Amino acid sequence: MENKKPLSPHIQIYSWHISSLVSISHRITGIINIIAITVICFWSCWLILGENNYNIMNYFLGSLIGKFFIIGVVWSFSFQILSEIRHLIMDMGHGFELQTTRITGLLVIFGSLVLTILIYLIGRTFI
Amino acid sequence: MNLATKKWIFLKLSSIILIPLMLWFIINFVSIYDKSYLEVLNFFSNSINKFLFSLFIIFAYFFSALSISEVFEDYINNEKIKNVANRALQISAIAISFLTIITIFNLN
Repeated sequence: MENKKPLSPHIQIYSWHISSLVSISHRITGIINIIAITVICFWSCWLILGENNYNIMNYFLGSLIGKFFIIGVVWSFSFQILSEIRHLIMDMGHGFELQTTRITGLLVIFGSLVLTILIYLIGRTFI
Repeated sequence: MNLATKKWIFLKLSSIILIPLMLWFIINFVSIYDKSYLEVLNFFSNSINKFLFSLFIIFAYFFSALSISEVFEDYINNEKIKNVANRALQISAIAISFLTIITIFNLN
């Protein structure tokens, strides 16, 4: 059964702006996050199989690719957190002016990089 | 209240709950990801961590299922495929979160 409702224009149609970049990145990081959370769920379930089996996973996470995966996940979570806060503020009716959307978009992009470093430092140093 | 409004309210409420849980989890995950078996086991054996991690998993899958269904709504035209995709998404979200929580609560 075909739906008569029009689809959203596909992303290659848009001319790129900060707000569209943040919007599509929000969706992409949302999908990355749920894949990462699924991997983390399997990682935590792996614990029940005992130490020897856990060490295989531990070896991967301790490797260079593993570290790249962790930093990628931290950035993806950071981006999603800041972008979601931006969405919640917009849902309350604020920040719709063109200049404001550009500034908050840039804050999300650069803020996510700063938050990634902060989370990594707090996690590795203080916890 | 129509279905779309309900969906939007659930999406927003879950995101408000999820933000602090995401921050709590990611900071703790960074601190334990390369630790020994016993240290990670110790983290998941703590009752508060078990509770917060379970909440995080429930809300993360709930939020993701709702948001990904929006992506399906935007980009899949065929109703049949969309329904199958949504059903598969919901079943996997429930199954993975249920399996993880049961496992976590059986760790000592």
